[in-house]
Amino acid sequence: MNSSGLRILVVDDELGMREGCRKILTSEGYDVEVAEDGVAGLDLFKERGNFAVALIDLKMPRMGGIELIEHLRALDEDVVIFVITAYATIDTAVEATRRGAYGYIPKPFTPDELLLPVRNGLDRRTLSIEAKRLREERERRLLELAVERSKSSTIISCMTDGVLVINRDRQIVLQNAAATRILPDCAAAPLPAPMERLGCTGLQALMEDALTSGPGPMIASREVALDRCTYMVNASPVREPTGEVSGAVVVLRDITALKKLEVAKSMFISMVAHEVKSPLAAIEGQLMAVLSGAAKDSPNQEKDMIERSLLRARTLRTMVSDLLNLTAMETGNFVIKRSPLDLRKVVAEAVESHRERAEAKHIELILAKGEGGADGLVLADRDSMFMVFANLIDNAVKYTPEHGHVNVRIEQEGVCVRVSVRDDGIGMAPEEKDSAFDEFFRAKNQYTVYVPGTGLGLTLVKRLVDMHQGKISVQSEPGKGSTFTISLPTAE
Amino acid sequence: MESRQPTIMLVDDDIDFLDLNRHVLERAGYRVVCSVARSEALASLAKEKPDLIITDLMMESLDTGFAFSRQIREDPTFRDIPIIIVTAVGSQLGFDFRPKTQDDLLAMRTDAFFEKPVAAKRLLAKIEELLGPRKPE
Repeated sequence: MNSSGLRILVVDDELGMREGCRKILTSEGYDVEVAEDGVAGLDLFKERGNFAVALIDLKMPRMGGIELIEHLRALDEDVVIFVITAYATIDTAVEATRRGAYGYIPKPFTPDELLLPVRNGLDRRTLSIEAKRLREERERRLLELAVERSKSSTIISCMTDGVLVINRDRQIVLQNAAATRILPDCAAAPLPAPMERLGCTGLQALMEDALTSGPGPMIASREVALDRCTYMVNASPVREPTGEVSGAVVVLRDITALKKLEVAKSMFISMVAHEVKSPLAAIEGQLMAVLSGAAKDSPNQEKDMIERSLLRARTLRTMVSDLLNLTAMETGNFVIKRSPLDLRKVVAEAVESHRERAEAKHIELILAKGEGGADGLVLADRDSMFMVFANLIDNAVKYTPEHGHVNVRIEQEGVCVRVSVRDDGIGMAPEEKDSAFDEFFRAKNQYTVYVPGTGLGLTLVKRLVDMHQGKISVQSEPGKGSTFTISLPTAE
Repeated sequence: MESRQPTIMLVDDDIDFLDLNRHVLERAGYRVVCSVARSEALASLAKEKPDLIITDLMMESLDTGFAFSRQIREDPTFRDIPIIIVTAVGSQLGFDFRPKTQDDLLAMRTDAFFEKPVAAKRLLAKIEELLGPRKPE
């Protein structure tokens, strides 16, 4: 063993003994420090530390050897301590060992009688330090392993996807909480359980596919319906390093919401297709009639058919642009530029743009200001606001019979500007009122069949008001009329 | 001769089709009564005594479209009135309504099915075919 650099502390009140030890040990390459009593020895140990061996006399002034041993042991559990004394008795030896001394070297001694026990002690120290290191390392690894295991098991058990692991004997060996919830039939069974217990042939077939798959990465997937929910199930084989399949991991993902969305999308497309097809069929039918000369003996009839076709074509075009606007809102591509806006101006413009049509039906169209005025500005997009009020006034004029009244009113209401559009037209039944903002909803009755409409206007209005953090409400009674009220917060 | 003029009832919530078909049928010499709603049509059956009914499916939901012809077929007074369905709804949500065989027509309790728009010639030919044998001498 290479003794260089190993430090030895000698504590003895006899100068000769201190220097003798220093001489013998230094010649062997040890690094030696000396102290003349217990207190000096303890100070030195505390100050310099890291001694491999301490040679300690028992009888010393100020602090004796036994007390020093106790202090050193408390400071360093690895230091090898020898007692050197001329007055050796069995009792003192036992006492010294009990306090933590490793050995006992009686004075006087030859160099070999000193060096041999020191070497033995150092060997033992090396072994014990190594053993301690190994023990600590093992404990650390065990801790890491435990943490790692609990991490993976936490991940698996917290996954919202169901996870099942089966071995090559077709037994379920692991299932997480989500899998237990999805497949209650296999919940009660202790693991391992035969995979037949799943009671789902689709799932079993998929597992079988994964277990019998050829070489190469392979994932079998299929949609499986279980208890009103739809799951996308992926099964992938687990392979040994040899390539042999030792089992399979099955992941069940709930795609019920996606499927519902898919159905909703299909229904919407189907609805749009129908809404487009009907007016197109009407236009086509009327043009066919004109071309075939079906109305050639009646020029008025012919003109009327062409005019109706034009009206239907225009309604269709409005519907398509409404649809595009709605889609843009859904995808976030509908840009509104909000700036402080005087709603009175926008509302007045919307009213004026309907003046002519109202007059044609002898409808009295009035714009009124509330008592409190409405000078508060709102933070809004001008074009959107025009679209909102134009739509509401357009509806009011459309669904009010001749000689009716449409009242538009704007007023300040606390921190909001409130605009209401009231008509004394045909009104809506409660169930019609509830659906008024739904896409393509149109109240069907003797009056409305004569009124062209897309069923999208109010949907658009509602979305625009929502985008401005506003509120829209409707009051209506069949035969009495409807009132739409919009509240928009004023700008700070 | 005027009194022998057959009556055709048109039921459609699309006002343009009502006008168009009324025009076509009146020119062909039929008396035409129009309804924009099924309930209205059913209520006027007894008064108008139509010789033939042309109706749209007017689908509010998947089954209501066919309810109208079923109601007529179940009424002993009107069960023999021929019904022609003319609709823009040939299919919806993956269901294809277009009848392919005579059995399909029977199941729909209707005598003929056309998709909108139907050429006046084809519609008139079908009406003549359906009313022909009924025409009193």
